[in-house]
Amino acid sequence: MNRALKRISIAVLVMFLLLMINVNYLQAFETSSLSTRPDNIRAVSEANQYERGDIVTADGVVIAGTKPSNDFYKYQRYYTDGPVYAPVTGYDTIYSTSGVEHEEDALLSGNGSQLAFRNFIDMITNKPQKGATVQLTINSRAQLAAYAGLAEILKGTGHVGGVVALNPATGAILAMASYPSYDPNLLASHNGTEVNTVDKALLTQSPSPLLNNATQTTLPPGSTFKIVTSSAWFTQDPTRTTSSMVYSPQVLTLPQTVNKLHNDGGEICGSAGANGQTTILWAFSQSCDTTFGNLGIDLGGTALNSMAERFGMNDPDLNVPGVTMAPSQYIVPPSQALTAFSAIGQYSDTVTPLQEAMFAAAIADNGTLMKPYLIQQVTASDLSVVQSTTPSVLNPSVVSPAIANDVKQMMIAVVQQPQGTAFAFNQGNENGLIIAGKTGTAQNLLNGVSPNPDAVFTAFAPANNPKIAVGVIVQGGGYGAASAAPIAVKVIEAYLATLGIQ
Amino acid sequence: MPSPALGSQPPEDITAGRRRTELSMLMFAFAIVAFAFASTAFSLKGQRLSTFVAIMIAFIAIMIGAHLAVRRWAPYADPLLLPLAAILNGLGLVMIYRLHEAGRNGNAGPVSTAGNTIPITTLSSSAVTLQIVYTVLGIGCFVAFLVFVKEPRVLQRYTYLLGLVGVFLIALPAFLPSSISGVAGTGAKIQISLGGFTIQPEEFAKLALAAFFAGYLVAKRDVLSLAGRRVLGVDLPRGRDLGPIALIWLASLLLLVFESDIGTSAVFMGLFVAMIYIATSRTSWLLIGFISFIGGAFLAAKLFSHVGLRFSVWLHPFSTQNLIDYPQPSYQTVQGLYGMANGGLLGRGLGNGLPYWTPLVQSDFIFTAFGEELGLAGVMALLLVYGLIVQRGLRTAVMIKDPYSKLLAGGLSFMLALQVFVIVGGVTRLIPLTGITTPFLSQGGSSLVASWVLIAVLVRLSDTARRPPPRPIQEEGLTQVVSVK
Repeated sequence: MNRALKRISIAVLVMFLLLMINVNYLQAFETSSLSTRPDNIRAVSEANQYERGDIVTADGVVIAGTKPSNDFYKYQRYYTDGPVYAPVTGYDTIYSTSGVEHEEDALLSGNGSQLAFRNFIDMITNKPQKGATVQLTINSRAQLAAYAGLAEILKGTGHVGGVVALNPATGAILAMASYPSYDPNLLASHNGTEVNTVDKALLTQSPSPLLNNATQTTLPPGSTFKIVTSSAWFTQDPTRTTSSMVYSPQVLTLPQTVNKLHNDGGEICGSAGANGQTTILWAFSQSCDTTFGNLGIDLGGTALNSMAERFGMNDPDLNVPGVTMAPSQYIVPPSQALTAFSAIGQYSDTVTPLQEAMFAAAIADNGTLMKPYLIQQVTASDLSVVQSTTPSVLNPSVVSPAIANDVKQMMIAVVQQPQGTAFAFNQGNENGLIIAGKTGTAQNLLNGVSPNPDAVFTAFAPANNPKIAVGVIVQGGGYGAASAAPIAVKVIEAYLATLGIQ
Repeated sequence: MPSPALGSQPPEDITAGRRRTELSMLMFAFAIVAFAFASTAFSLKGQRLSTFVAIMIAFIAIMIGAHLAVRRWAPYADPLLLPLAAILNGLGLVMIYRLHEAGRNGNAGPVSTAGNTIPITTLSSSAVTLQIVYTVLGIGCFVAFLVFVKEPRVLQRYTYLLGLVGVFLIALPAFLPSSISGVAGTGAKIQISLGGFTIQPEEFAKLALAAFFAGYLVAKRDVLSLAGRRVLGVDLPRGRDLGPIALIWLASLLLLVFESDIGTSAVFMGLFVAMIYIATSRTSWLLIGFISFIGGAFLAAKLFSHVGLRFSVWLHPFSTQNLIDYPQPSYQTVQGLYGMANGGLLGRGLGNGLPYWTPLVQSDFIFTAFGEELGLAGVMALLLVYGLIVQRGLRTAVMIKDPYSKLLAGGLSFMLALQVFVIVGGVTRLIPLTGITTPFLSQGGSSLVASWVLIAVLVRLSDTARRPPPRPIQEEGLTQVVSVK
């Protein structure tokens, strides 16, 4: 019997060995494939068992944080001024993430490979895992001003709008606001049914609050595109200056069609009379469509396209980590008449508020366009930096410094000289700060929802030492100077105040 | 595994009994359980020190009681059996405490998920107290067995009575209405629920049947060893001797079909085959038993959808049909696997995992809860503890001289190993899942009490095996008997 018992013992040994091999396989080799399965509720839940890292603005305001929770997860995500920062932070639901929450999920949740060693130390010292803190380039004052400005004009209109402010020297995004917005706090609920209800409501709303109008919605740039047209014109012949004369008729007869191009309200462009000439500076500051329509015909669609692309348009590869983007586009028109329209920011020209800010930023930074970025740096719970962004150049020479200066002078004239489209608006706001800007009032015929034209404004300030470049588009806002420019000025003033300027 | 040759004297060092070793090993077990409780307390919110101290004192008192009983009634018993079982019992208490706290006192857990439809395990607030009561009952039976059964061979007298009792207990739920014997949501009929009190008679039936098999096989082993025809180098038993094994095979299949209890059916069949092999040393019995069980199970899988579904879940747990479509037959298995994966190498720590997402995690799937919170390291240790108990049992079987006791010790040890293999293999998808309890760890009284009785039998057998032979009364001068015509 003992021989049989020994054999039974061997059988038992084999049984236990099989069990051990199997648990080793399961827990040492199969963990990652099991953890990444979409239906694995533990992977989701686990993320909420640790203190997710904060998302803070450049000036230290916590815009997404965690607080202890008393339900089945240990922590609850919360968002400060949710709708204001929603296009920046994105959301973090039990099902999915977006925005910076999505981009930096691995580090925020604390699972990123860069944090593995710290997690190991934490485990040994019995400290709970904690996610890394993500610091953005956003300035809270500028952001609040941007959102408040948009909300004031757009509330109840059913129209959309977006604001982007950049640091022209670095490309750092100082503000990125969108209207309408949503409150990510509602999506942060741990109750799946509730999240679904909120999500469904958000998805059925029109216009969609989930869309980031600052970077995803493209609208016609209108006259702000004259920055591109004049840049192309100056580049075509470097001897041209702001006082060069350009043909500025009251009515421009377009080639090959019976259509004619009028200035706004049919007005005469400066001293040019019905069929004369005026300086480019005057035409720019008064925003004469006939002048730039004619320049567009002279330059041709290809030259305009080339300059538009140097400003960052038509670039599907331009991506800002943490931001969902739609490329701004310029399509080379098939006819001279349409080229004239494209030169004044109509036809098929569409831009995002981000692109508007990039127009101003490139001019402000002497023709150098910096790549926009939102995430400044990520610091682990022990305050060591695990990831940081160094500013990079998107295009070192959109235009030469001399041409950038010419365009800058023209943009200053828009605001400072009596014929400037933004002069009237700037009266009373005058407090020594010189803003360089360009208004746009875009006929948006493709967009039937808008009875008024879209208001567009792109600007930078202070003009002599640019610290901030802003792009604003307010759908259906009317004249650029009337509704878009005031928002830009509020953002500029809010930001410059934090720098101690004004 | 070195073991003394048959008939040799027990080695000198063990003749003195090893009660001090047992006590120090018990202290070690207490320390581990106390540490586990402390670790749980640190992780969970709103814990009161007094609760843990009370549970620990109760646990220590019960186990010290068992130790004293062993000292008194089985002084030569194997010193490891009690501490090994105690550590499992203690860790089971810790895990049940941890699971019953889920959702309470602000701890992570399912209670506040009003709008959530995901099925989650909740334990009643008295789960821990009840488990302690069951531990007391288990140790009570353990002590009673040691007190009343001084010699294992006494059981041999009641062989057929025990067989009848076993068959009666195991068959009883099949004849009762589902309202009394059905386990909610599983279709299995394995328990008797009366007035809020539930027992699973099969847990005790397994022990009775092991004793019956031992007695029966000792009586019949000479006949069963006779060789019949020789096929492919294997001596087959004679046709007429196939009767008993055919009967058991049939019985286990009936169990499978009428009570949907695949796990117990497998343990039952495996126990009989192992014991008949130990009794006869004939490999043919192993082959016949193994092949017939596999064949029977395969047939059952083809004929009965609920058995077939187990195979389908085992082979394709992540298929849409099994995991996504209602009623999600593989949901529980997959949640168990996710739990194990979540634990990884070192586990989330007691109280830090999410074991409550797995349905029935407190009973069938408690092993995955350990996998999640103690990790690979923890479950390897648990498997080693089980392995050691089985090894001590088999060692006892080798050492003991009396064939009946030898069969009983070998059979019970193998049964424990098989039970661990079936449930742990099931929840880790080594084999198809069959719902049986995890000895000592699972919540529930019947399993815990029966497991302690099993340990009591092994303790009694090992006491007998290691007891030094009585000293000869006469030192010199043998009496010579001569026959005078």
